[in-house]
Amino acid sequence: MSALVIAVPSKGRLQENSQAVFARVGLGIVQSGSDRRYRGRIAGMAGVEIAYMSAPEIAREIAAGAVHLGITGRDQIEETIPDAAAKVDYVRALGFGQCDVVVAVPEAWIDVATMEDLDDVAAGFRPHHGRRLTVATKYINLTRRFFAGHGIADYRIVESLGATEGAPATGAADLIVDITTTGSTLRANGLKVLDDGVILKSEAHLVASRVAKWDARQSKALDVVSRHFKAAD
Amino acid sequence: MSESYESLRALLSDAGYDFVEPPIVQDAGVFVELAGEDLRRRLFLTSAADGRELALRPDYTIPVCLGHLATGPAKRRANYAYLGPVFRQRRDEPGEFLQAGVESLGRTDRQAADADILKLALDATRLLGVKKPSVRIGDSGLFAAMLDALEIGSAWRTRLARTFGDAPRLRALIDRANGKAEPAPLPDRKAARAKAEQLLAASGLGVIGGRTADEIADRVVEKAAIAAGIGERPARILEKYLAIKGDPKAALSAVKALARQSRLDIGAAVEQFAARNEAFTGHGIDLKQLSFAADFGRRLDYYTGFVFEMHKAIGAKQIVGGGRYDRLLGMMAERGKGRSPAIPAVGFAIWLDRIGARR
Repeated sequence: MSALVIAVPSKGRLQENSQAVFARVGLGIVQSGSDRRYRGRIAGMAGVEIAYMSAPEIAREIAAGAVHLGITGRDQIEETIPDAAAKVDYVRALGFGQCDVVVAVPEAWIDVATMEDLDDVAAGFRPHHGRRLTVATKYINLTRRFFAGHGIADYRIVESLGATEGAPATGAADLIVDITTTGSTLRANGLKVLDDGVILKSEAHLVASRVAKWDARQSKALDVVSRHFKAAD
Repeated sequence: MSESYESLRALLSDAGYDFVEPPIVQDAGVFVELAGEDLRRRLFLTSAADGRELALRPDYTIPVCLGHLATGPAKRRANYAYLGPVFRQRRDEPGEFLQAGVESLGRTDRQAADADILKLALDATRLLGVKKPSVRIGDSGLFAAMLDALEIGSAWRTRLARTFGDAPRLRALIDRANGKAEPAPLPDRKAARAKAEQLLAASGLGVIGGRTADEIADRVVEKAAIAAGIGERPARILEKYLAIKGDPKAALSAVKALARQSRLDIGAAVEQFAARNEAFTGHGIDLKQLSFAADFGRRLDYYTGFVFEMHKAIGAKQIVGGGRYDRLLGMMAERGKGRSPAIPAVGFAIWLDRIGARR
């Protein structure tokens, strides 16, 4: 029988926060010997293995059943996994990494306050400009689903790999879908969030894979991890 | 059953269609520009060494039309047929599957061309062993005529027209358009324009070719019209119209009765509908075999009139899709800018994989 594998963010504030949350409930994550960049364990607990990965990778591995538990944002899960409800269990919210995935347009668009306004603008855009309205985002699937849910068809996505909020100012796209916490970055870039433009309220979660193989020992290890969290509530 | 494909080829050739085989690998941008972002998730994408996004063709219509435009004047008459693989990401069916079909371009006798296409589609499916398909037909031209006759203002007109084909959403929209009609104060276009201009300049957006201050100001004015709604009477008439269904003869009577009752002038569209019915009958198509629904259409803005779908049985997956798309060639030729000229085009595609005939 093999270990329970927990995927944990490999860098930045997400890693620090994950480490801190586990430490607070009495689960000290220790980076382990040989390939210490990628693997770790929990001090004093056998049968649990920590795997360090990027946040999108964690969502993918959870969906593939390659890891049992993971720490990642709801935004990553919902973006990366088409049928998330069937594959992922949100075990608990972890109280960090809060952000909203939002639709933001230039403040100068004083006629656009709602998704319905945006639909009108999208539909009328091509006859004026000879191209479709463009949306810069790295949340391609969330954007498609949200826009389709509002009946918006006349647009195209420009995939953005960083600094999405700058896309309208550089002419790379007309509007954006991106994460925001306080809205100050959006405002600094002359953008505003639509009244009904919050696609998702995200937060880091401990998630479990519904498609991973769970043997008796792994299930027991999950119980132990869960008990630690419950005891700290 | 290679014979059935051979006889299908013979049927389409004998009807005057020339077989073409456009490249499988196409520029992805064309499909996304024309069919919208929603299609992109169904494309098989790859990229060229120079970074261009490429797609395996998801259908034949757009590649065939591209070929047509590349080889001569857009308006010339041409008849194309095809049979081969197309590629779409599908949930519970293979991503590669066979389609056959035709595109009839440039015929100005539209109703006769519509009827010829439906007849050929019925002959083709019969040849492939589908004796009694269920056939749904619709007409977005008739809906457009209703909007014109009801003198619905341009802002609501475009909203309603582009939602046609999505019946629940259209009903909800009419519900919202209904009744309000209290005159909103007319916004100050000049002030709106100045405000937009100032904000565009402040964010550096004024120079990059996005929405202009004029466009924004125009829509500020338009929003006032939207807030006013379309009024209760037009909304009620549209609801009555959209509820019409039945065989095309009965539907025609119902549409005529509604027009008479409501004193609407939709004469030209009704005449075209009647002429098409006659052409169906002339081909020996039993009108009782067709079921018209006033709210049935295709949500692609280049479809302009007659549309149809065939199913082996009601509720089963679609085996044939067809219709008139007079706006597509113009949109392609003009790269979508301005009001593209209408160029007659009608065709159909058969999902050979769903019919179950095998090569």
